[in-house]
Amino acid sequence: MTQRSQHARRRAPRLALLAAAGLLAVGSATAATLTLNETGSSLLYPLFNLWVPAYTKANPEVQINTASTGSGTGIAQSIEGLVQFGASDAYLSDAQMKKNPEMLNIPVAISSQMVNYNVPGLNNVHLKLSGAVLASMYDGRLRYWDAPALKQLNPGVALPHHLIVTVHRTDGSGDTFMFSQFLSFTDKTWEQKVGYGTSVNWPAVQGAIGANGNPGMVSAVRSTPYSVAYIGVSFQNQTQKDGLGEAMLQNRAGNFVMINEKTVPAAAAAMVPKTPKDERISMIYAPGAESYPIINYEYVMVKATQPNAATAAQIRKFLSWAVSTEGGNSLMFLKQVNFLPLPASARALTLQQINQIH
Amino acid sequence: MRPSDALFRVTVTAFAAMIPLVLLALFAFLLHDSWPALRFNGFDFFTHSSWNLGNQYGNPVAVRGEQVMPGASFAILFLIVGTLASSLIALLLAVPLGVGAAVFLAEAVPPRIRTYASLLVELLASVPSVVFGLWGYIVLIPFLSRHVYPHMAHWLRDVPFFGPPSGSGYGLLTAGIVLSLMCVPLIAANLREAIESTPQALREAGLAVGATRFEVVRKIILPRLRLPLIGVSTLALGRALGETMAVLMISGNALNILPENIYSPISTMASFMVSQLDSALQDPTNMAIYGIAEIGLALLLLSLLVNALARLLVPRSLST
Repeated sequence: MTQRSQHARRRAPRLALLAAAGLLAVGSATAATLTLNETGSSLLYPLFNLWVPAYTKANPEVQINTASTGSGTGIAQSIEGLVQFGASDAYLSDAQMKKNPEMLNIPVAISSQMVNYNVPGLNNVHLKLSGAVLASMYDGRLRYWDAPALKQLNPGVALPHHLIVTVHRTDGSGDTFMFSQFLSFTDKTWEQKVGYGTSVNWPAVQGAIGANGNPGMVSAVRSTPYSVAYIGVSFQNQTQKDGLGEAMLQNRAGNFVMINEKTVPAAAAAMVPKTPKDERISMIYAPGAESYPIINYEYVMVKATQPNAATAAQIRKFLSWAVSTEGGNSLMFLKQVNFLPLPASARALTLQQINQIH
Repeated sequence: MRPSDALFRVTVTAFAAMIPLVLLALFAFLLHDSWPALRFNGFDFFTHSSWNLGNQYGNPVAVRGEQVMPGASFAILFLIVGTLASSLIALLLAVPLGVGAAVFLAEAVPPRIRTYASLLVELLASVPSVVFGLWGYIVLIPFLSRHVYPHMAHWLRDVPFFGPPSGSGYGLLTAGIVLSLMCVPLIAANLREAIESTPQALREAGLAVGATRFEVVRKIILPRLRLPLIGVSTLALGRALGETMAVLMISGNALNILPENIYSPISTMASFMVSQLDSALQDPTNMAIYGIAEIGLALLLLSLLVNALARLLVPRSLST
């Protein structure tokens, strides 16, 4: 790319500047405190909302604003420097890293994703689903709840002859990244035709609905009978309260598993040793008899170079607290959103990355 | 001409010129920012349904001289259809309601109450559209999808586009209904003024030859409304075409697919720009952003066209 066209390209995201100008206006209220802003992943948002009051109470010199938008916004605005923390369930791609080499992908916890459904009468059953069957549902190869492939996975369950309504995220979303990666790793057709990303080219299926953020997914499934959706585990309390069904998913070993204290750590144990130094790694479809197939690192995107030393110091301090077992990674916080703390080896890598912020 | 007059003229001209200049600047900005997309997409942009950022975890490739992610393609026929279809449904519902409301306000309501009733209608016009959207999302969608659409689809099963499946409530008809509610006050308020401007002598002449009040409305007042009606309808259409938030909340945000019937999820150009902005910002080649600018350009031209039509059709007194 020539210098000139690079210049032209740099000018394009001015739309983002406009969109985010509002955020900047927040929080310049008191001069004595330093204000840090967080935006992005709606899956991480509930955790940040637990962290921030606890942290700022002990550290009154810093004020932290949080916003639930979507991983796409988190990534874009942290790159632009509009926010200090861009929360994302997805790591940056190689192309994005090449374009923004100063970005750090800092894992702060381990999360997982549910596949939820609303099939009247069957929401307490825990239907068994595989990645290939989900791919067929989402690309329209499989249109009815009583299709042979679904019956085969769920013998003895009275599946209704009703059109499946698939629900997907319309905003750029790490949940979409995780889910589409699961489908790509389990289904060749999906891998070739759709692939994975924070937003993908959802196959054209009549009746399919797009929803905004995890809260939008929950409410779309609740209000739409015969729908199916992927929802971050930090919304499990809500999906259970709303009486939505939660599917058992087939893992790499062929077993059907649900999210619990055994299956998520099992998958993490299989993948954490493979984590590279920059910690950009997919943990989807991990090997192991008990491994839950859709888990991931929850990332906070931070620019390595901050405008001044004071800001950099506060960012390091907050993130170090967030990943410490006595601080933000204690079960007191993580249990409420059903996340797992970072395993020790991942924490060491994360602290190395945090120390690069200057 | 005195110097002060000349100064006045220059100042006023400068201020007056700012408005067309802003429009021109907006157009130039959109054209500039969508230029790479215009080159990459060509005319297919308007004739196909495929909005695909490509493989975001791949490496950029050069296509037609532009850097894009592998597999990327941008075409918005489904958005154009969704935008036009929902706006037309809105208009079909809003015009009869708006005319009825205007006639009622101008002719049937006692003068004592008329001021307040008219005020209410005009207040409705100032309700922010996002409130309509929220109401549609919370109240209308569950109600329609459970108690109305299934029956409608059953009774109208042989009518093209009205038969089953009745869908989830998110979609074309719901968007049309909510949009029509935003258009009704606009139509009613403008038409009421037109009715009230009917010369008293004409009404009295009608009554004098023995016409009933209803006949006066039907034979004298309504025919005079034809032109203003075309004008305000076009203005209402302009509003419906550009409506963003309400549609975003209730349309179902369909991607790359044309509606199979009136209950199907859709997307519109305006709402799609909002919902896809942050995904587009992640495209390392920026082509998705250029594509969104191209949608903006298309929407700007469409709205300009509609509003220009309205200006031509509305009598001068009503167009302000």
